Amino acid sequence: MIMRRALIAFLGTALLASAAAGAPKQKTSPAPVPPPYAGHYQPQGIDEIGIWREDDERERALANSSQVIRDEALNGYVRSVLCKTVGEDRCSSVRIYILRVPLFNASMSPNGTMRVFSGLLLRTTSEAELAAVLGHEFGHFEQRHTLAQFKAARKGTDLLSWAAVFTAMAGTNQAYRNFDNLQISVYGGLMRFGRDQELEADLLGLGYLNGSELRPQAASRVWRNLILEVEASAAARGLKKPKFDNVSFFASHPPEGERADYLYDLAAPDSEGRDEGADRHAEVLKPWIAQFLNDQIALNDFGASEFLINRLGERGWTADLWRARGDLFRGRGHPRDHMNAADFYGKAVSLDPTLADAFRGLGLSLIKTGRVSEGKIALQAYLRLSPNAPDASMVNLTLSSIGGR
Amino acid sequence: MKAVKRTIAIGMLGLALTASIALAQERTATKQGFELPANSGKTILLFRPKISVGEQSTGGMFEPNADWTDSARKHIEASLIERQSTLGNKVVLAAEAYGEQARLVEEHIILFGAVASAVVNYQFFVGNRLPTKKRDNKAGVFDWSLGDGVRNLPGADSADYGLFIYNKDAYGSTGRKLLQVFAALGPGLGVQSGEHLGYAGLVDLKTGDLVWLNADAAMGGDVREADGAQKRVRQLLEEFPGSVSNSAERK
Repeated sequence: MIMRRALIAFLGTALLASAAAGAPKQKTSPAPVPPPYAGHYQPQGIDEIGIWREDDERERALANSSQVIRDEALNGYVRSVLCKTVGEDRCSSVRIYILRVPLFNASMSPNGTMRVFSGLLLRTTSEAELAAVLGHEFGHFEQRHTLAQFKAARKGTDLLSWAAVFTAMAGTNQAYRNFDNLQISVYGGLMRFGRDQELEADLLGLGYLNGSELRPQAASRVWRNLILEVEASAAARGLKKPKFDNVSFFASHPPEGERADYLYDLAAPDSEGRDEGADRHAEVLKPWIAQFLNDQIALNDFGASEFLINRLGERGWTADLWRARGDLFRGRGHPRDHMNAADFYGKAVSLDPTLADAFRGLGLSLIKTGRVSEGKIALQAYLRLSPNAPDASMVNLTLSSIGGR
Repeated sequence: MKAVKRTIAIGMLGLALTASIALAQERTATKQGFELPANSGKTILLFRPKISVGEQSTGGMFEPNADWTDSARKHIEASLIERQSTLGNKVVLAAEAYGEQARLVEEHIILFGAVASAVVNYQFFVGNRLPTKKRDNKAGVFDWSLGDGVRNLPGADSADYGLFIYNKDAYGSTGRKLLQVFAALGPGLGVQSGEHLGYAGLVDLKTGDLVWLNADAAMGGDVREADGAQKRVRQLLEEFPGSVSNSAERK
């Protein structure tokens, strides 16, 4: 009996301790510009030094990864956007690695390694939008969030281990119920702790933007654009419209709708007229759009890809965009898609009569829609433009199967 | 009801135990027909070992310790060189590579890790053999390869074999040990304290074939100390082909 009472008291204190883990961060409008940088930070204490050393090993491997895009111009551009946002002194503690991953993400690890996914570059429409995400990631680094998350997780799992032993010792149904509640409370607390860190990084990121020369209202648009993309993706699959305003138990980030709202409110009021650098952004990314779109199309997410291509088209349709849109439709491959694809490829080759891939797609989709002789001419143009193409022999086979080359 | 919940609790605490049980069947394999006679004058290229040392928290999380990792790396590399005489062949540390070559090395270290864990899961654990590895009377055959791309690795032209080493040590923290004692004395639950995983593999640098692999989830020897690291290296290279004297010592 004494034991059971002691156990309940123990679990009670444990609950209180875990509830206190995540103190909510304050939103003050506009988000304040962060204080001057304290200088090159070095890890302190056994945990942080250990985490940094592990991270150094990971970075060593990352630096030699074949996923990294090493183009100097692109890397220089992303670095310049980060430096513009967080300032030269902060920026010098970061190494940036651009990874060829077609997803909307970037991350920053404890020792100052920043990973930027190519999918993020494809989705941001201006320097300021890219800066909003990079500033957010830098906020995680400056606040040493990984270390805090590590300590919180250790505390939580330590507690649960002891609780499991004591629960098994008590062996009553009440003790097991208490243990179940404790588990939910600890795991829920850890997830909320993570969301609070995201909120804090959002606020810091916007603070950097407010203090920079870029237009901070772009931060809100990043999330509104993401919402539109997710909706387009769901609509193409015939799925229910996702909810962007509720927090689920295991959510790692605050909901997108909420982020778009508070980021808009926290922008400095006199900053509306600032430059976003949309033209500079488009200029630097121009040589990359074709490759990034190919990677995106390979994700087999028709709605999202179509949404992204159309948004890029708002700045003016290029041959690359028409070709990508043709690939998207031909890849889905319904008979009706081949009609559309042939149309898109046709526009691509009229804009750029040297675009070999567009001729290839044009030929293949024309043949599929029954316009064989026109298709033959297009495929012949493909082989003429790209005689050493890896699929040249296969295209020749197609040509001979439809009667002559 | 209570029994069910008790099982769940045991399952939670016992998770760490399963890793070592899975490995209990076999630990070492050599490719059929492969022989490396002692003192045959072959050169073995040692790639930068992956070493990570830390503590295991009460709840079982890995807490990396930079100081221990550094001394373990120093001690392990030193005892590898020192043991050259008993390995019967020349072991040279691979030089630091740059640019395209460094990428190639990194790719192969990761590839070796993937192949080695496939061997542990699907070869050493006999009941788990893949159909493609049983077909055509291959049931007892050790046939794994990294592909002949290993020929392009820097230093491969002047060496015969490549040696890859992986080590992860998590020493039980005071909290973990206390939990272990309490769990055993009170409800009688088994909690594992500490995790000592290591594997070493030898690859033919002409064909890419994995000719020898040793993997163990319960290694002995405290790698934070010079003596312990020597014991660890001895265990890692147990039954190493061409060894002058096979050490049978355990723990």
